[in-house]
Amino acid sequence: MAKAIYTPVLRHIQDLNHQVWVVQDQTLTAVPRKHSMVPATVSLIPCQYPETLETEKGIPMYLGLDKPDVCLFCTKTREQPMLQLEDKNIMTLYHHPEPVKPFLFYHSKSGRTSTFESVAFPGWFIAVCSEGGCPLFLTQDLGKAYTTDFELTPVN
Amino acid sequence: MGMRCLLVCGVSIALPLFVGADVCKEIGMQNETPSVGQPFAFNCTFPPITFGKVNVLWYKNSRKIPVSQNVHSRIHQDHTWILFLPLAWEDSGIYKCVIEETDHCYRIHINLTVAKRSWCDNSGTSVSTLSDEYKQILHVGQDDSLMCHLHFPKSCVLDSIKWYKVKKKFLLTAWECVACDSNAISCGCDFLAERVGNGGRIPKIIYPKNNSIEVQLGSTLIVDCNITDTKENTNLRCWRVNNTLVDDYYSESKRVREGIEVPVSFQDHTFYTVNITFLEVKMEDYGLPFVCHAGVSAAYIILTLPAPDFQAYLIGGLTALTVVMLSLVGVYNVFKIDIVLWYRSTFHPNGTTEDGKLYDAYILYPKPQRDSQSHDVDTLVWKILPEVLERQCGYKLFIFGRDEFPGQAVASVIDENIKLCRRLMVIVVPESPSFSMLKNMSEEQIAVYNALIQDGMKVILIELEKIEDYAAMPESIQYIKQKHGAIQWSGGFAEQSQAATAKFWKKVRYHMPPKRYPHLPLLLGYKSGGC
Repeated sequence: MAKAIYTPVLRHIQDLNHQVWVVQDQTLTAVPRKHSMVPATVSLIPCQYPETLETEKGIPMYLGLDKPDVCLFCTKTREQPMLQLEDKNIMTLYHHPEPVKPFLFYHSKSGRTSTFESVAFPGWFIAVCSEGGCPLFLTQDLGKAYTTDFELTPVN
Repeated sequence: MGMRCLLVCGVSIALPLFVGADVCKEIGMQNETPSVGQPFAFNCTFPPITFGKVNVLWYKNSRKIPVSQNVHSRIHQDHTWILFLPLAWEDSGIYKCVIEETDHCYRIHINLTVAKRSWCDNSGTSVSTLSDEYKQILHVGQDDSLMCHLHFPKSCVLDSIKWYKVKKKFLLTAWECVACDSNAISCGCDFLAERVGNGGRIPKIIYPKNNSIEVQLGSTLIVDCNITDTKENTNLRCWRVNNTLVDDYYSESKRVREGIEVPVSFQDHTFYTVNITFLEVKMEDYGLPFVCHAGVSAAYIILTLPAPDFQAYLIGGLTALTVVMLSLVGVYNVFKIDIVLWYRSTFHPNGTTEDGKLYDAYILYPKPQRDSQSHDVDTLVWKILPEVLERQCGYKLFIFGRDEFPGQAVASVIDENIKLCRRLMVIVVPESPSFSMLKNMSEEQIAVYNALIQDGMKVILIELEKIEDYAAMPESIQYIKQKHGAIQWSGGFAEQSQAATAKFWKKVRYHMPPKRYPHLPLLLGYKSGGC
């Protein structure tokens, strides 16, 4: 067993429009942040075996939620890469002896903001609607109507 | 005809709903708490499904009839949006939108709670009511912006959005944005907290610094990797060798392990320590970079064998040499006589060739008055000395009373013959009166002095018995004793018992000159007797 002590880092994630990721009825959604709401606590842990991955795109990371035990995962539905939540403990993925690509995202940081690019579907990024109130999805249109730049803030 | 059409239309509307109720996928429930009397709009969107060609219908509660699409209705659907112009108390409830595409169906719910707000009236902002309002954080020292979350469909024209700074407190500033359109006024308040930002920093590895570490083979070694990084970082920190995690590289032997990561939190950064432990340093570890990684940063250590300690070697070498030398000196002192005799017998040094001498030793002996002593002296001088030194060892002695020519004066015999000798062997006995020979015979004394002083002749002093007090002896004897020491006779006086290898004779032979080789043919017949 390698590095059993390593634990995921916990973050709140929002975009520059102050829309924060929240879990609403088992769906990860970006909504305007309010005092009254509890943002989703996202757990992130780097892949231990990035050798076979394109690490110049960023640090390969597993993304999950602190509670419940679900992880973000990319799958293809009708030729369309889709972002879903799957019941999975992030440490199970972490200890897997090779990269579990559908659950991996290249975390690339530029200044304050980060992007998350699917490892399974290169060129597809985690995105939210600019106008808020929509579930997270994958897009390959960068810098258009959707927001793909996110800010990670420590959980207080 | 009209009835039939109505029936068909009714079925065509009801059928998809009926089917949809069974196969629709629930996307989730969103909570909204807009203010009474204000316009409110909500977009039914489920990317990327709603980017395509879909049919969207809004319903209130569990009603089967969709929300009106009449733009003049206070509540109506506009494309994918549901609009409340404005909100009334009775609008609270669950709304659902159904998204239908060719063979799939999705359903999104919103839980609408109409609330009363004080922040939008003219009295200004009340902090106590801000808890449900937007929370937007600006970073000091960075370009940043506030967002007025007033989202309406394109058909709604928002004349303008104005920003008002409402209140400023320590670290907190309240803002208000107001938008107007032809129908109503919408308000929102943003509540801001300032804080120091530090984005864009990369992890810094303080140690190691691509350095080498001297370590003994077989020893245990622990090396810390010290890192500072931002508080928000998500970097992996680890030790790798050959681009493999050390815990995996040594997964079987577990000889090299990564330690527990210890984070220490500071105000604006976190300090991490991750160590690597070598339970036993092996030869293969030397020269191999062990790399500490922290995100994109990396730094390595290389183990090296300690440089040899020349000073220690030098001191050790000199000590060993000194010990050897002292041992050799000790051995030489103990076995000096044996070594010299062995050397002489083995290598036959020829140092005394042709020095003009006829005899190897002049034997000077007393005439004790006591019979027993006189007998012993005579036995030694006349029998034993010739037997051992002449017969066994091949020396040639001059013995007064044996070798002088008849008729010579005693003084001249001594004087002349002593010059022909290489050594002077003096036999002494304890009792002083017995030394009358030396004491009284002034000529002989003079000859002895001359021999000693003029020729520097070596003198061998032989005590027939142990002599306690030399004070009674003539000064010449005291001088010889002091300078050369004395050999004490240790054997008996039986003629046959003498062997040249006895301890006493070894000492005598040691002081005698080396034998001369080749020598006279008459010696060939003699037994060497161990000489």
